[in-house]
Order: sequence, then structure tokens, then C-alpha cells
Amino acid sequence: MTAPVRAGDNARLRMGVLGMVVLSLFAALYARLWFLQVVANPESTRAVIINQVRVVPEEAPRGRILDRQGRIVVDNRVSEAVTINRVKFKNDVDTVTRLAALLQLPPAVLVNRMNDQRFSPYKPVPVAEDVPESVVVYLAEHRDEFPGVEAQQLTERAYPNGNLAAHLLGYVGEINDKELKGRKGEGYRLGDEIGKAGVEKSYEEFLRGAPGLTKLEVDSRGKVLQTLDSQPPEQGKDVQLTMDLDVQRLTEESLAQGIEAARHATDKEAKKNFLAPAGAAVVIDPRDGSVLAMASFPTFTPGDFVNGIKPDVFAALNEPASHYPLNNRALSGQYAPGSTFKLITALAGLKDGLLQPTTTVDDHGSLKVGNRLFRNAGNRSYGRVNLPQAITVSSDVYFYQLGANFWYRRGQVGDGIQNTAREMGLGQPTGVALDAEARGRVPDPDTRKRLHDRSPKAFPEGKWFAGDNVNLAIGQGETVVTPMQLANAYATFANGGTLYTPRVAARVVEQDGRPVKDLGADVVRKVDLSAGRGAILAGLRGAVADPKGTAHGAFLGFNGFPVAGKTGTAQVSGKQDTALFVAMAPADDPQFVVAVVMEEAGFGGSSAAPVARRILEGLAGKPPGPVQLAGGVD
Amino acid sequence: MSLVFAALFVAGLGVLMVYSATQHRFEASPSFFMERQLLYVLLGLGAMAAAASIDYRIYRDHAHLVYGATVLLLVLVVSPLGSNRKGAQAWFQLGSFQLQPSEWAKVALIVCIAAYGAAHRGDLDGRRLIVLLGLAAVPMGLIELQPDLGTDLVFGAILLGTLLVAGARPRHMAALGLLAVLAVVAVFHFGLLKDYQRDRLTAFLDPKGDTQRSAYNLNQSKLAISHGGVTGQGLFKGTQTNLSYVPEQHTDFIFTVVGEELGLVGSGTLLALFAFLVWRIWRAAALAKDLTGTLICIGVLAMFVFQIFENVGMTMGIMPITGIPLPFMSYGGSATLAEFAAIGLVLNVHMRRFS
Repeated sequence: MTAPVRAGDNARLRMGVLGMVVLSLFAALYARLWFLQVVANPESTRAVIINQVRVVPEEAPRGRILDRQGRIVVDNRVSEAVTINRVKFKNDVDTVTRLAALLQLPPAVLVNRMNDQRFSPYKPVPVAEDVPESVVVYLAEHRDEFPGVEAQQLTERAYPNGNLAAHLLGYVGEINDKELKGRKGEGYRLGDEIGKAGVEKSYEEFLRGAPGLTKLEVDSRGKVLQTLDSQPPEQGKDVQLTMDLDVQRLTEESLAQGIEAARHATDKEAKKNFLAPAGAAVVIDPRDGSVLAMASFPTFTPGDFVNGIKPDVFAALNEPASHYPLNNRALSGQYAPGSTFKLITALAGLKDGLLQPTTTVDDHGSLKVGNRLFRNAGNRSYGRVNLPQAITVSSDVYFYQLGANFWYRRGQVGDGIQNTAREMGLGQPTGVALDAEARGRVPDPDTRKRLHDRSPKAFPEGKWFAGDNVNLAIGQGETVVTPMQLANAYATFANGGTLYTPRVAARVVEQDGRPVKDLGADVVRKVDLSAGRGAILAGLRGAVADPKGTAHGAFLGFNGFPVAGKTGTAQVSGKQDTALFVAMAPADDPQFVVAVVMEEAGFGGSSAAPVARRILEGLAGKPPGPVQLAGGVD
Repeated sequence: MSLVFAALFVAGLGVLMVYSATQHRFEASPSFFMERQLLYVLLGLGAMAAAASIDYRIYRDHAHLVYGATVLLLVLVVSPLGSNRKGAQAWFQLGSFQLQPSEWAKVALIVCIAAYGAAHRGDLDGRRLIVLLGLAAVPMGLIELQPDLGTDLVFGAILLGTLLVAGARPRHMAALGLLAVLAVVAVFHFGLLKDYQRDRLTAFLDPKGDTQRSAYNLNQSKLAISHGGVTGQGLFKGTQTNLSYVPEQHTDFIFTVVGEELGLVGSGTLLALFAFLVWRIWRAAALAKDLTGTLICIGVLAMFVFQIFENVGMTMGIMPITGIPLPFMSYGGSATLAEFAAIGLVLNVHMRRFS
């Protein structure tokens, strides 16, 4: 390379190279253009449409909940709310401060609500509910000072009867992630309301309306240009319950009065007042399993859950000292049935031929089984008693003997008592359409062994003895039932042997009352009660009517219809006795079964029976007097 | 003259596209941007005539003055006299107009490089090459102070194109290419870029990363072009365009309007017009009377080709996002004027090819 390179020598070549580079660059652009506009065009056309259409859902008002007679139990009400349109709102310190002052909210709370992610970005966000009329007027008159702020009417759940039937009705709340996952494909969205408990939860599919859908064309900034399609929300269907508001009110009042009375009564054994922290009462129509009333004490206010429950209110509901009001003890409370279980033992004895109505036992006040001595409650002795008498006075010895006989004859009858208990619906959920139902427990040698094998520390005894059968016969030991199971078992006896699934809802109707769906009675099974039912019924009537009857004192002066019933007093280790009473009335053709269970409240005959008496007075059409505790009998 | 008609045709289409892109942005005055762009095109014709009228050899002989004036302007714009918009110190505010000296600097640099290259008769040894690179580095450095990476890249393209034709040694060209690669690596590696710059430059490599703002914009841009299909959605009927889904649509992303509303037919024709324009410039370079004329034309050619490829490529997702206008199409006064002036220079050379 001695000679200088002159441009002219290879200028042509260099220009040519440049031309080739330029050509290939243009070729690349054309190739890409062809790919985008021809190959990728169909897919892009779809994407562009999705790009520009926003679907804004509008929640529908829920259906109402009605009582047996069609009276409104849960309603919707319109609330004046202040909403903020996030696109239009002038989000500066000055506007926020002025608005916060107007709404009497701390500015930080206002900002938090405004930025709440659960609200659709295409819908105004409610930042304050139930604002006074003056604020609505002020906002209307000073519109330009608060751009994007508006007073709007929102619908929310209303409870005209306060906290009546709270556990039955349940409450609504904002859908959570788990519920959202479980209900995929049902059109739920974050921030939607959903039934969280009770009827609100079980009948969600009817109560929830069809959300409205509005299709909007929006630009890249989310500004709405036009409405493409609009489908208004459709209110949910009304659910008519089997519950009767009057009976429910009567039941709740009676239970509360009884518990209050028990708290003022002295436990002679413990030498202090009864604690009586909680209780439950259930009223069933035995003819079809309709639940007329279901009460659990203590209770809560479903209205507290509207628009999200306040943290301090929620904390108070979960405070041990308040005895967990959210628990529905009628369904999730599990109690030793005590002597109310004798109905089952008697039925089992009759069915398996271990007992005749005329079979007598000489009750000396105690029975020795193996090397253990089992005594009557209060060390009473009733002399020679037959089956009806044994039920009326609640002779333990009579049933100890029967329980022992079942053990001796187990080769022929197996676990006869347990089998009958299960036939009558114990030890399994009743299937009522409400959440959080406990299954109870009917123990037998197998379950005992399983429990022991699983956790030998908690259940040190893995074997079943004659004494266990003796305890089982009078409803002690490991047997537990829910108040609903107890009521349903007695209802099965009362109607002659049909075990129903207790029903809380009768039908689904439109707002104008047109029927949508009938929720009929549901038979689980028929139980053969032909052997000796009359003798048992006589015994149950005697418990109320006979001067020796365990509930006689509680029903002194009762002049409604004839009542049959059974008291129960269950011993719970480390606690005061559980008081139980189950009644059916009118005794010849029962229309009502009433079960009352009161924790740590003493004798069934003295605490629980007076509560049932007051409920039955009301059911019989008599003005119910105050609950008065009766003398102490088991 | 066909060169002028091609440029005018493209500029006319540009005015129309600017209108389409902006008519919905300012409801009070939908034609605001269009009217302004029309004014810029008319002013551009004046600039073109002015650039063509004085013999380019006079520019060549006074290249040092042109160079000095350019550097001075670039210094002033990064001084407090200049004004800042969207994070770049690149404008002089004059009434309601912004003047962007870096656009004119491109044209000025073309003349200066051509003058230097021609002065050495195509014999660019290593020493001369370094002097030339140094001459270019001063304005490029000043522009990077603004910062305006896109314009610097155009400078690089002009330099490369001119050097190729001016007779730089092949091994020097190879070394320069290697150096450019190393520079890119270094810039990324040593964090010389601001986050948004890196974001924009790399968005086209990762189009699925649509959480990034740049990737989102790029996807909307590609979607708009793709939505056009073969025949387009029709003038003023592009929904992506009308709903403002594409950012900076009247300036850097003007090609998406052509793509969406006029389809493959329209955007293909536009590219063909550009190709025609480039061919006419190439031809003027080949027919020029002297090396200065050739190099001026090649500089202009390199500038246009790079801007077209980078801009259109960016909107289609095959080139990184940089703020480079599409010649004669993008809204903007300084750029339009400078581009017409560049055409004026080519005319200048072509008119005097026999004298």
C-alpha cells in the first residue's frame, strides 16, 4: 500500500456496498411489515378489541329473607353514600383535607378507602356510607369544589328485627380468596358480597342476584367514550324460611330469661351460683322437620357485618369472656344428653326384646355391676318401677340394669343401644342446610378402640366394659349430641318414626311472591317404633303431669295442651351440670318438639324445663309469664 | 425535481397523519398540530431553497465557521439559556416555538465531514481519521449532555456512511465497528444509561415483559400497525389511534398511524417513497461533480436511511426505542426544517454537477 488510495479508484465499489446495505435494510422493514400486517393481523384484531372494551359489573341487591308467614326478616336498605370517581377526582392535599373534614373522617382513612384495590377502577369508590342529608346537599351545591365526588345511593343488608335469629340468618361479607377459588365460573369478583354463615350462606345461589354488566369503550387513559351494551342487575330471589318470627322471638326471650335466672340460682353442690354461660333452644314441627325456631345464647348482631365488621367489634366477639357469640350452639354445641338419652335406651330395649313395657326393676337406689356400684342421682330410691314409671321419675337404676343386660346379651343384640341411637339420627350430622354442624358422638367398643389407638394419652382406656354400657344407658360417658340432633330424635319419636332432615327454608319466591322453587320435607329414613311406643309416651307424659315426674314442678299450673317430655342433667367433668329438657306437644298429636340445653345451669327439671314451659305456653296461645326456676330434680 | 416531489408527497402525508394522531387530543382545537406541521413544511421549503441557492463549495470553504457556530449553539443549549422538556436539555424556547439545534447540527456536520473528507481527496490515513473522529466527537459529546442518545446514533450513522465512501481503510472501518460494539457494551455495563433509557432500549428484546411502561407502549405500537392489515382501517378510523393507545404518536410513533389507518398498502407505499427518495440521493451522489458533492449527498443519505430504519423498525419492534423522528412525517419544526435543508443540499450538489 505505497500509493495513496484514491476515492475515484474504488468509489463505485464503495457506493455499491452502500447501496446493498440500504436495500437490505428496506427489505427487512418490508418483511417485518408483512409479518405484522398479514400474518399477525387476525390475532391483533382480537387483542385490539379486548384492549378497548371494559366490562364493568354492577352487583345486584340480594334477595330478601322472609319468615314462615312471609314477614320480612332480612331486607335491603338504601344508604346515602359518598363516592369518588378516581379518574376525575383532584387528588391533592387540599381537596382531600376539605373532603375529609366534610365527611368527618381522618384524611388517612379517606385516602385508604379511595385507594382500596377491591373496588373496580372504572366505578366510583364509596368512601363514606350513611352520610347525613346536609352533606348530600352541600356536595350538590359545591360540585365544582369537589370534582369527581358524588353522593350516591347504595343498597345494603338491613335487619328490621335487630339481632333476632342471628345464627339462623347468618351474615354477609366480602368474598375472600378461598371462596373466590371455590366458586370459579360463577361470576364472582373480588369485592363482591357473599353469604358467610347461616341461611345467607346456604341459600347463596338464590339470594345472590345476577350482576349487571355494562360494556364500555374506553381509551388508553381509561376514559369512558361510550356504552356499548348494558344489562341491568337483577335482584336475587327471596327465601322463605320455616322459622316463625313470633316463635323465634319467644324462644330467644325464654332462653335468655332462663339463663339469667340460672345465673341467680345457687348450685348447692358447688356452693356458688350457676355460671350458665350459654345455651341453645330448638323448636321443630315433627310432622315435617320444619325448624320453627333456633336460638343460641349468647348472640350477635348481623348488622355489624354490613360494610365490613369493625375490628374492635370482631375482637369483642372472639373474646373468651363473651363466650363466643358467633358459635351456633344449637348446631355446633355438643353436649352429653344425660337422661334425655333414656328414650333411646328404652326404644333399643323394646326393639331388641330385652324389655317389655311391663318389665319391672326394684330400684333400691343403686346397682352393682361387676365390682362397681352405680347410684341414682341424689341417692333416691323409687322401689319397684315399670318402664313408664322409670321414665317419669327418671330412675337410673332401671336403665343401669337395661344397659348391663345389653352388655350381657351382646352376643345376640350387638351394640343395640348405639344402633338405635344412630337410627334416630344421633352421631351424624342432621343434614340441616346450615354450616358448621357438629356430628355428635355415639361411642361403642370400636370407636373407643379407634380413639385410643389414635391418641393413647387423651384416651387412656382402649377397652369397653360393662360399666360403659351402664353409663351409656343414661346418656353419660362419651356420648354427645347437638341440641338440633336431640330435638330431631324426639321429633322422630313424636311423629311415629319418620326421621326428617330438619329444614330451615320452605321455598324460594320472587319479590312479588310467585314461587320459584319449593323446598319440601326430606325423609332420611323410617324407624320402626311399633314396640311399646305407647308405654314410653305414657312415661314422658308422666314426667310432666305426674306429681312424681321430674318436670312436674316446672309445669305446675300449666294449662295449655298436654305435654310429654324428658329432663336431663348431664355431669361434665370440671364443670357444673348441663341442664336439658325435651318436650313434645300436644302429647296425643305432637305439632311441636322443643329442646332446651343450658350449659352449667343445674338440673334439667329446674332450669331447662321452665324455659321450655314458657315456649310451650306461647305456642299454646297463652300469654307467657316469666321463666321461674323449679325445684331441684333430675 | 422528482426528489423534491417525493419529499413533498411524504411531508403532505405526514401532515395528514399528524392530524389523525392529534385530532382527539385537544378537543378545543383538533387541527392545532396539523396547522403547525403545515407551517413547518412551508418553512422547510424555504430552508430547502436557501440551502440550494448558495453554491455548496462556498459552504465547503467556510466549513470551519459552520462547525464553530454549531458547537456554539450546542454549548448554549446545555447552558441555562436552553430549556428542559421531558428530562432533556435540548431546546431554545422562542415564544410558543421550541428550536432544537441538534437537528440542524446533523446537517451542519454532514457539510463539515464532507469538506474534511474531500480536502484529503479520499485519502484518509489513520491520523486524518482520528482528527475527523475528534471533530465529530465534540458535538456528539455536547448532545450526550442533553442527553439525546438518538441524535448521537444518527451522527454515528452519518460518520460511518461518509467514511465508507470517503475512502477510509477497510481495516479502519472494521476497527471502528469493533469500537462501536465495545462502546455499546461499556455503556450498558457501566451504568452510563439512566434506567428509563435502558428500559426503552431493551424493551424490544423482551416484548412479553408488559409490566414495563416501555414494553407496554411498544406492544400498543405493534398492535396498531398489525391492526391495519392489508388495506388499513381507513383514514381517521384507526381505533388504536383514535383512542390514544400509542404514546408520542404524532412524533416518534407517527408510522403507527400510517400502519393502522392505511394498512400494508399505505405503509408499503410510504416505504417505497422513502426508498425512491434515497435512490435519488444516491444517484445525485454518484453524479456529483466533485468528492465534496458526493460526500454531502452520502451524508444526507446515511442520515435518512438510518432515521427511517431506526424509526420504522422501532415502531415494529425490531429496533430499540430511541427518540428519532421519521423524516418528513414526524411532527416537529426543527427536524422538518433540517430535513428539507438536507434535501436542499442534495439539490445544490445535483444542480451544479456540470459547473
